[in-house]
Amino acid sequence: MKKRTLMLVAGLSASALALAGCAPGDAGNDAGGDSTTLKVWSWQAASSADWERIFDVYEAANPGVTVEFEGFQATEYNQLLSTGLAGRDGPDVAMIRAYGGAQGPIQAGQLAPIDDVVDGLDLFEPTVLQAAQGREDGVTYGVPFAYQTMHMFYNKDIFDANDLEEPKTWDEFIQLQDDLLAADITPMALGAREDWVLPMFHDLIGSARYGGSEFGAEVQAGTTDFTNPDYVASLALVQQMQQYFDPNVSAIAVADATLQFTAGQAAQWPGGSFDLKVFQDSAPDTEWGVYQVPPAPGSVLPAAVTPSYADGSFGINAASDKQEPATDLLNWMTTVEFGQLVGDELKQFSPLAGVKYSDPLMQEMNDLYLANPSPYLLLVDFRYGDPTGTAVLGPDIQAMFLGQKTPEQLAADLQAGISTWFTPGS
Amino acid sequence: MAIALPPRRPRLVRTASHAGVHMRFGSTLVFVLPALLLFGVLILYPMLAALSYSFFGWQGTSRDDFVGFGNYITLLTREPYASELWGGFSHNILLFVGAFIFQNSLGLGIATLLHKRKRSKRFFQTIFALPYLVSPMVIGYLWSLMLSPLFGPVNAILRGVGLEGLALPWLGDPTLAIWVVVFVTAWQWLGFPILLYGAAIAGIPEEISEAVSLDGASAFQRFRYVTLPLLTPSIGIITVLTFIGSMEAMAIPFALGGSSGSPAGATDVMMLLFYRTAFESGNPNSVGISSALATVLFIFILAISVGITRVIRRAERKLY
Repeated sequence: MKKRTLMLVAGLSASALALAGCAPGDAGNDAGGDSTTLKVWSWQAASSADWERIFDVYEAANPGVTVEFEGFQATEYNQLLSTGLAGRDGPDVAMIRAYGGAQGPIQAGQLAPIDDVVDGLDLFEPTVLQAAQGREDGVTYGVPFAYQTMHMFYNKDIFDANDLEEPKTWDEFIQLQDDLLAADITPMALGAREDWVLPMFHDLIGSARYGGSEFGAEVQAGTTDFTNPDYVASLALVQQMQQYFDPNVSAIAVADATLQFTAGQAAQWPGGSFDLKVFQDSAPDTEWGVYQVPPAPGSVLPAAVTPSYADGSFGINAASDKQEPATDLLNWMTTVEFGQLVGDELKQFSPLAGVKYSDPLMQEMNDLYLANPSPYLLLVDFRYGDPTGTAVLGPDIQAMFLGQKTPEQLAADLQAGISTWFTPGS
Repeated sequence: MAIALPPRRPRLVRTASHAGVHMRFGSTLVFVLPALLLFGVLILYPMLAALSYSFFGWQGTSRDDFVGFGNYITLLTREPYASELWGGFSHNILLFVGAFIFQNSLGLGIATLLHKRKRSKRFFQTIFALPYLVSPMVIGYLWSLMLSPLFGPVNAILRGVGLEGLALPWLGDPTLAIWVVVFVTAWQWLGFPILLYGAAIAGIPEEISEAVSLDGASAFQRFRYVTLPLLTPSIGIITVLTFIGSMEAMAIPFALGGSSGSPAGATDVMMLLFYRTAFESGNPNSVGISSALATVLFIFILAISVGITRVIRRAERKLY
């Protein structure tokens, strides 16, 4: 009995280690058959049908090539991809996470460099292409397929019913929120229980205040850091906005907040372009609008900016024995034809110039971005180590909403967290 | 004249020293091999692999140089790991204490009450065991929906019956959120001690209780001096399993607070830290550090579990 209990204890305890041991594997080369079937992996399982329609166009133009698209759950994808790229049954072409998320497979040598074999990489904005480049070597390993932009969405029906308009100045912006409160309407819906939305909200409200890409460049050069008063002031704007959310905002999940917005219980939604399809599908009869938050007093940048980031890219598995057809597919991904399909089928923004959007709201969002883009700083530049910038700021903004921390403490925490792995000028 | 032949040696022999059966090594191996293979491939190999990974630096999923205890030192001394490790650990301990109290009070109480019921016993045992049969992730999401301050039925009911003051932001307030995780975890596991204690109580011979009753013991005295001591082995098993389950808790905290243990890390546990380090980190050496964490967790769980088992054994020996 004693031995049996001890064995039981040992066996059950082992599961934590077993879980860890399942993660990586030894690299192996898979010499598959003669088939020209290209296996493409993605984290966009919900859009699998849309992606298949896009690849149908490629298959029709390239007889003999079959694209086998496999969509996985976004939350499981990193794990699956690291196993797939290291093992035998991995993809030939895979969606690669952007910026810091791409560095794992790049440093492991699991992705093929494409600078010399894929044409048209110069068509991409440098901050977009950076998403698919090695931080250490500067080599490109993927073709970016989409980018996301951040906007303040609003319910036009609520605005019309209350004679409200898109604000052009910060004062008008604050007045708008106060008017909504006075009309007993929750001004903004936010799922603050999920910390990942909070650094995005901060950039949407405060990017112009701290200086957007200019500030980013100064941090990179080491001439300033996150404790800069302008950055602290941008965090104070987030604190100022708390009064315009539901009083229990810290307990509200993103799904609940989405329902709050689409059901007309809140007038505005500070979010990303990825939210649009959800709103249109959930409340097809509601008319939606977007605007950029005007710069707050004392802002470093004079005009409203649109924070954005590349969503991901398609890279080639270095171990795939179908390098040539995979390279051909990536070459096609730099064409406007592919970009237009991404816009039409997926309702996502293609980073390729010349793509037109049939949805007028998408066109407006894209025009806002093109007029005054700004990088989503913590994602674009500060996800290359542990802790990532968003991993520090997200929970810290929750703490600020709960009254546990001040904007100054948030800035100090962020600087301290980033400093454990980031050296200016590196 | 018949010659008495020596009896043929039986292939299986019962020996005096052991109550078990002696078999030849080859036969033993044949019986044990399938299980041993599965254990080796699915448990032992990944464990040893993780142990070896923890001593190397990593670039993504490709192994770099041998770093000795470097990953362990990073884990225990460098931010954010050091403070998150202790934060997560303290919440794991809270989970264990909460579940332990819940199971050994309510679980044992319900099992004792059900024991006296002849007809409804099975029905209630099934009802209480149902949450235990559902995936913890599903349980977590269901509770997260029920506790939503906007659309959740819990707060709606509380407001409906005039208890407006109790309609709290359950998962938004750090002082409440961790207790919600403790409660939901304990609630899901409640069926397990009810079944185990139920079986153990049923195994206590009636004669003992009857003898004590004849001596004039009250119901409480019967429970305190007969039932409870005889349940010590079951309490030990439940304690150890609860400890292991609490230390490895992942699904319910994840469903209720996400991978970062929202709000503001108030529901963070060690397995979430492991998950973040292994799969969400921007650190190329995430495999090394997460393997070190898994090893630390394993050694800690094993050591404490063996410790608890020893204490319970000693308590048992004192009883008999």
